[in-house]
Amino acid sequence: MSTMGNEASYPAEMCSHFDNDEIKRLGRSFKKLDLDKSGSLSVEEFMSLPELRHNPLVQRVIDVFDTDGNGEVDFKEFIRGASQFSVKSDEEQKLRFAFSIYDMDKDGYISNGELFQVLKMMVGNNLKDWQLQQLVDKTIIILDKDGDGKISFEEFSAVVRDLEIHKKLVLLM
Amino acid sequence: MFLLLPFDSLIVNLLGISLTVLFTLLLVFIIVPAIFGVSFGIRKLYMKTLLKIFAWATLRMERGAKEKNHQLYKPYTNGIIAKDPTSLEEEIKEIRRSGSSKALDNTPEFELSDIFYFCRKGMETIMDDEVTKRFSAEELESWNLLSRTNYNFQYISLRLTVLWGLGVLIRYCFLLPLRFKEFMSKHVHLMCYRICVRALTAIITYHDRENRPRNGGICVANHTSPIDVIILASDGYYAMVGQVHGGLMGVIQRAMVKACPHVWFERSEVKDRHLVAKRLTEHVQDKSKLPILIFPEGTCINNTSVMMFKKGSFEIGATVYPVAIKYDPQFGDAFWNSSKYGMVTYLLRMMTSWAIVCSVWYLPPMTREADEDAVQFANRVKSAIARQGGLVDLLWDGGLKREKVKDTFKEEQQKLYSKMIVGNHEDRSRS
Repeated sequence: MSTMGNEASYPAEMCSHFDNDEIKRLGRSFKKLDLDKSGSLSVEEFMSLPELRHNPLVQRVIDVFDTDGNGEVDFKEFIRGASQFSVKSDEEQKLRFAFSIYDMDKDGYISNGELFQVLKMMVGNNLKDWQLQQLVDKTIIILDKDGDGKISFEEFSAVVRDLEIHKKLVLLM
Repeated sequence: MFLLLPFDSLIVNLLGISLTVLFTLLLVFIIVPAIFGVSFGIRKLYMKTLLKIFAWATLRMERGAKEKNHQLYKPYTNGIIAKDPTSLEEEIKEIRRSGSSKALDNTPEFELSDIFYFCRKGMETIMDDEVTKRFSAEELESWNLLSRTNYNFQYISLRLTVLWGLGVLIRYCFLLPLRFKEFMSKHVHLMCYRICVRALTAIITYHDRENRPRNGGICVANHTSPIDVIILASDGYYAMVGQVHGGLMGVIQRAMVKACPHVWFERSEVKDRHLVAKRLTEHVQDKSKLPILIFPEGTCINNTSVMMFKKGSFEIGATVYPVAIKYDPQFGDAFWNSSKYGMVTYLLRMMTSWAIVCSVWYLPPMTREADEDAVQFANRVKSAIARQGGLVDLLWDGGLKREKVKDTFKEEQQKLYSKMIVGNHEDRSRS
């Protein structure tokens, strides 16, 4: 991998919660996934994991990882993304991650359309569109405190914060 | 220059003598016992010595590494992360329950936090998934002086290479000319296999030999490498069924067909499949024919688990004799990653391993019961083999090594989740 170079030293801007040992282990996972050895993971390479085919939200997670928007996840983005699942990341970071799963255009608000699309990914064709729209409308009405028709990060965290997210979005290494 | 001549001839003489001695020794210790099926117990001693050497070597390496302050490459056998095996329903219910108590009327059917489950599951898989792990060689905790299982040091044993050369020579010398002698072929085959086994320095322990497959039955085993065939065939007579291979394997296959009634086929040919099933049924019904040897996983797995059995062989309705084969990975990894390297490279690796130690368990015969179909029967046999060999029983299809998962799995998850949301809705409308 061209970007990895000397494994012992990593640039400080990695800004992750992992120690060297964990980064090395993640590096191995990354290399295993990087089938064409291009140094970044494409959607196809992610999808080569059979268990990920189960998961209806894979595309969203990949998009959230891909911070520079080039369609692929390079090693830095991978580490930063995985770092949000670490025990050491704080609640705020995890909430931001969950929020960005919904916020598809990254404008800081979850609109009606975005919520609909994400829900549609989760239910597939098992619910009719009007049923889905009903659910979405109801959710927004309940959560939208300032009446702008969208859910901001503050409104989101107000609801989700109680749910002990720091325990749910965690991977123990 | 003239002075060198007598010296030369002396060396040549010495070489000649030592070679002769070597060959005689090999002859005595390998071929003769192979013919008579007698073992000298030397190999057991060899195994014990090897174990001691490995332990010593690992200690030395660790000490050396500590002195130099290096990070030794330590493989993790259990995966990187601690996985939490909960199902979709349990987890979502738990997330919702732990939320603050809202008035029951106002609870929406869908919660924003429902995505947590999917995100976490996805991340777990990305870091460390169950399936592709099975297709790469098992990683060992202690080093066994082979560079393949521990990326630190390279060592090739010369002696074993010589043995291999001899083995190949004899195999081809015996196989080819004796093609024409039907009567001799059975015994010759057995002898050849035994020779191969010695050449590989394979130490095999057979358990429950009274359950060995009989004529008119099908022998079913888990598959790690083509050596499985040698191991089983050296302890009994079988007719083989298998995928047609190119290269060296193909040559061997064609040679074998001349001597014995084996069945080779092309996996992707649909017509072929029916033909094979028909031929297998005929073969099985003829009670005088040899038992058929089949590896229903369809591909080589890395010997930590047993993957889904293809139902074809279980539909025929004959008695199935399951066999479990488990290799001891300390002495040499027998797993053949056919997508990574071909047959000759694999053989070379096998020949230059220290030894191949494995255990073979013959399980009591099973037949399909009246109320179960082929798939259930296959799963039952698979569980028995997995339990005996101490392997993990997996539902995943071995074909995943080459092909991708079908989309039906994702649709199932979606259906499950939808039921959860809509289910709540129905409850509410009732109250």
